[in-house]
Amino acid sequence: MPNFLVKLIGLLLIVATVGVVSCQALAAPGPDVAAAPSALPAPRG
Amino acid sequence: MTRFFWLVSAGLLLALPLVLLLRRRLVIVAERYKHLARPFSPMAGLLMFWLPLPVLLAAIGSLIDGDLMGLFNNGVGYSLFLGGAMLLRRGLRSEADYSRRQVAKTPWPFKALGGGLIGLATGMVAWTSAGHSPIMSIIFGSLALLGCYLTYGFDPRTAKRFTDRDGIDSTDRVLHALTQAENSIAAIEQAIRNIHNAEVNSRLRRIVGQARQILTMLEEDPRDLRRARKFLNVYLDGAKQVTEGYARTHGRAQTPELENNFRQVLATIEQVFGEQQQKLLEADVTDLDVQIEVLNTQLKREGVA
Repeated sequence: MPNFLVKLIGLLLIVATVGVVSCQALAAPGPDVAAAPSALPAPRG
Repeated sequence: MTRFFWLVSAGLLLALPLVLLLRRRLVIVAERYKHLARPFSPMAGLLMFWLPLPVLLAAIGSLIDGDLMGLFNNGVGYSLFLGGAMLLRRGLRSEADYSRRQVAKTPWPFKALGGGLIGLATGMVAWTSAGHSPIMSIIFGSLALLGCYLTYGFDPRTAKRFTDRDGIDSTDRVLHALTQAENSIAAIEQAIRNIHNAEVNSRLRRIVGQARQILTMLEEDPRDLRRARKFLNVYLDGAKQVTEGYARTHGRAQTPELENNFRQVLATIEQVFGEQQQKLLEADVTDLDVQIEVLNTQLKREGVA
């Protein structure tokens, strides 16, 4: 296999793993806001 | 948002072959005119600094959101990526040095270490930040490691040894002499920083440039080391001692006599270094003449010429 093709496959693998995983980490949802304790007091009765 | 990132990734995947093809064409055109050992490219390995940048942004986002776990995961992931990229770049640099020299020790496996760290970082970020399963994360990490290996290759695994004319292995001696010369040049450069005289400094920089050129010639052909023994043991060491002494004293006592003497010494050093350089070039020409003569004689004897 020519050296150029080997390098191209390597670069594609790097972009497809490191690049995609990094973008997914950025797009992943943050902490669950609903689970955070509310500052409002609970209604009585 | 996720669709956008997939589109960006697909665009990158499509654009990459085009960029590589263009780059290859340019390199082929450039190599027609330049048949020297390929030096270390300032762009080599920079991709591994750019690609994980979204992880840094994710860490900053976690900090703004007050998400301690996200900050930790993304922070550690990005640090691993950064460490891996730095090791990889160092490995590429030492590989370029190794390929330039005729005599060299086996370099540290920085490229393999960097690739391993990048694979580990990819797997960790895939698991902790991107939400993939452990098995998928291991696959991501392994593919990243494979990608690093295919793109940048393995580190050189054998030392380039040098045997002199008597058949004695003198690798260590050559490397010791070159390292000592490199240290002397570094000491002169350090002394230049303490000398506040523009004229003297420019002359010293010229001398350092000449010394580096001679050292490069010796690295490329260590057989010249015998011819340059006096340069390495006497002149370069002397230049270092005189420059260091001048840097120490000229700040405290500025006497015109000292300045004049130092200028004269620098002019002599410059001349001697130039002569040394010329001598090495002439020796190369003589060697080539001898080789041509031997080949001619051989061809005539065999009735070809």
